[in-house]
Amino acid sequence: MEEQLKIDFEKLLENSNFSKNNVEIKRKSFNNFIEKGFPNRREESWKFSDLNQIISKNIKNLSFYNDLSKPNKIDQSIFIDGLEHNKLVFVNGRIEKIEFDYEEKNKIEILDDLFLEKPKNANNSLLFLNNAFVSKYFKLIVKKNYSLQKPLVIYNITNKDLVSKSINLKVDILLEENSSLKLIEFSDDKSTTNFININYNLDLQKNSFLKNYKIDNNSNSNIKYYFNNISQDNNSISEIFLLSSGSEFIKNEINCNLNGKYASAFVNGVFILNKTKHHEIKTNINHLVENTKSYQLIKGVLEDTSKAVYQGKIFVDSKAQKTDGYQLSKAILLNDNTEFNAKPELEIYADDVKCSHGSASGSLNEDSIFYLMSRGLNYKEAKKLLINGFLLDVVEKITDFEIKNLIKNIMSLKQ
Amino acid sequence: MLKIKNLKADIDSKSILNNFNLEIKSGEVHAIMGPNGSGKSTLSNILSGKKGYDVSGEILFENKNLFELETEERAHKGIFLAFQYPLEIPGVNTNIFLKTSLNAIRKARGEKELDAIEFLKLVKIKAKELKFDEEKLNRQLNVGFSGGEKKKNEILQMSILNPKLSILDETDSGLDIDALKIVADGVNSLRKKDNSFLIITHYQRLLDYIKPDYVHVLMNGKIIKSGGPELALELEKKGYENFN
Repeated sequence: MEEQLKIDFEKLLENSNFSKNNVEIKRKSFNNFIEKGFPNRREESWKFSDLNQIISKNIKNLSFYNDLSKPNKIDQSIFIDGLEHNKLVFVNGRIEKIEFDYEEKNKIEILDDLFLEKPKNANNSLLFLNNAFVSKYFKLIVKKNYSLQKPLVIYNITNKDLVSKSINLKVDILLEENSSLKLIEFSDDKSTTNFININYNLDLQKNSFLKNYKIDNNSNSNIKYYFNNISQDNNSISEIFLLSSGSEFIKNEINCNLNGKYASAFVNGVFILNKTKHHEIKTNINHLVENTKSYQLIKGVLEDTSKAVYQGKIFVDSKAQKTDGYQLSKAILLNDNTEFNAKPELEIYADDVKCSHGSASGSLNEDSIFYLMSRGLNYKEAKKLLINGFLLDVVEKITDFEIKNLIKNIMSLKQ
Repeated sequence: MLKIKNLKADIDSKSILNNFNLEIKSGEVHAIMGPNGSGKSTLSNILSGKKGYDVSGEILFENKNLFELETEERAHKGIFLAFQYPLEIPGVNTNIFLKTSLNAIRKARGEKELDAIEFLKLVKIKAKELKFDEEKLNRQLNVGFSGGEKKKNEILQMSILNPKLSILDETDSGLDIDALKIVADGVNSLRKKDNSFLIITHYQRLLDYIKPDYVHVLMNGKIIKSGGPELALELEKKGYENFN
């Protein structure tokens, strides 16, 4: 693979117009990745998901160069129906549409040729890979005191032309003071066995509010890694919901730094997995100052031989008195061959804090099924009602009414 | 309506019911009384089709072999079990559950399914009759309900589904006098010439409010004595241990 990587990297530099700074950073990042390679289970944070093995098992002849010179057609039928929204559309890793029809133009800024920086987390080789191969590095700025009228949907679409490629995207979002954004990230994949590596940096200034809903619901054979880095200043709120269901493998990593007093972070997610799917959510919530709050609720329904992993860490700095941290994960295992790994971690250096964690997994309650069947529902209906009820608990945490209904529709949870 | 002949039921090779016989005709109310562990709940579970028992003998419901029917098919045919411990079903709205249940049964019977408006109209009337707080119907099924509310919810379901044979498994336990009276009124209002009841209880108390036609005493898995309502009084006086 190393030979291929080198050829593809040189090809990328040859065919692109990167600034001198970026070429330099890219070379350094590239060398760093070559040295480290894909993460494997010997690294603590990858011990339940050996990415190196997963990639070699699932992807034949992975290539890293992606010709982005020609535009791709957008299949409009993929667009979310019944919800007015702004759009950023990526097709096969190429930006194809930027549309903010509902917004005041001077309240939003989009930059697309940023200086790359060396990743702060030197242990994460995938951030170096991303740096080396990312083509355009986008930044969206929401100006002070502005709340977007309509949600922004970032579409990550891959079509059937894309086979065994590596896609690397990098998007920064800055919410200035008192601003707010509802962000839906919507994946639709008709492609086969690609490795998709997406890096989001979300910067929430004072009193800003981010609602971020990540939807991966359509079955596909791609392997995905998302690194979401969130920094939060005073009184800012982040609300994240993950629907982790469609892809063969996804690891969603959320690193959230609560840097400002009264900042709060909510991470809720559901795994709905079947067949051989393997998904992971890994969180690092870092309480770094006083009076910050975090809440995490993760639930999974696992079928066939699927596997879900939740590694949830709450870190409380010695300065972060009055921290309120909570996490809970639960899974329903629909047969004996499924696996749910939960690794809650609390690392607390302050003494006046309130932190709790819990995890439970088990099969469907047969007594509950009997109860529902005794009221005329057949086994399948009873099972569906119980599973929907189990998952609905998480979906109900979504505070945006319109998007909550959209997600209920997508998950067929409408009652 | 219901004929049980020589019913034998084991669980994990332990005999629970043995040589159990009972016949209930249309319009009759039968009470089964018995001490803890006498097999009362096993009987109601088996009638509703709960798995996990080794059974032999025969149960005919309207001349159909019950053992050939799944739990939900028994519900479709008109068997209803009011649970001793109604289950909490998180995330499932009570109204939606009731509507799903009613329509599943109506559909199986070839009747028209009720739309949301027709259903809410029906449920409103029934809830009022049972003095059931309507607001609770918008909550998750039985979640956070008191013991009494759960039992009332069972009777509400019974009254909406309008079954032919209702089995009340210790519905009186955990009820205060007022709730007991409401539950009894609910049952009495459903008493018709083609509806039958099997009331399973420890105490004679419920039978003050619901007058049974027959009382049976169940001990060690079989009926040891049958009689009229006066049998319950006799039992109450003597206690189970000295009875026989």
